[in-house]
Amino acid sequence: MNVTRVFGLFAAVFAIAYTIAFEWHWELFSYHPRTGEFGWGQQVSRGGPVMHWYGALATGALAALAACAVALPFTRSRKLPLWLGWAVPLACIILWGWLLRGFFQR
Amino acid sequence: MTTFLLILHGLCAVALLGGLTHQALAVLWPSRGGAGFTSAYRAVSAARFTNANIAFFVTTFVLGAVLYPPYRIAVRTWIERARLWHISGLFEYKEQALAIGLAMLPFFWLVWQDPKDESMAVARKCATAILCLIVWYAFIAGHIVNNVRGLFGQ
Repeated sequence: MNVTRVFGLFAAVFAIAYTIAFEWHWELFSYHPRTGEFGWGQQVSRGGPVMHWYGALATGALAALAACAVALPFTRSRKLPLWLGWAVPLACIILWGWLLRGFFQR
Repeated sequence: MTTFLLILHGLCAVALLGGLTHQALAVLWPSRGGAGFTSAYRAVSAARFTNANIAFFVTTFVLGAVLYPPYRIAVRTWIERARLWHISGLFEYKEQALAIGLAMLPFFWLVWQDPKDESMAVARKCATAILCLIVWYAFIAGHIVNNVRGLFGQ
């Protein structure tokens, strides 16, 4: 089974799922760097900062792997468009610029 | 240990920046064999940079992920107290762009498997250019954040 056929899909689904996970707080887990503790999902502060980035990466990776697993059998007869692998991530990177605009407007 | 890892992170980023810029310029603006520095800079076998660039991207990313908790505790709290929101935003954008770039690496590897395959030429150019821009942005933003107290600490 040639998994390289879905590499473009992986990049696209990861970019979308990661963006959604961050924006809608669907992180798989959170990390409390001051205490070194992990907790499932979106966590509130335990007397220090909370990090959601690792959890959002995990959510994005899981969603992308699941999408690729589902799509893989269908790609034997039908090729996925190559633009998925670069245009969707590029669109998400541009979208992030808009989502983070508040940092630059204060 | 954090200082050592930060320097290692920076050195890997320099290597990645050099390799990816070589590869991007070679594919986007191929050398026609002219004399001079710019022609020589672009006259490289771009495909040969692929695996090294992927390895440097992953290594730099992992080192950055390891360094993130000390940054979150010591540096970002200072940036927020100093109300340097645009500096915080620079770093936020860096982490999002790099995460998306990391997931592009398998596709980047795929489009460089046969550099003579014309059906992948557009995807090859676009994926390489996007990764190159991400790395350049991350490098500059990382430097600004790293030097924030010297630049904005008054």
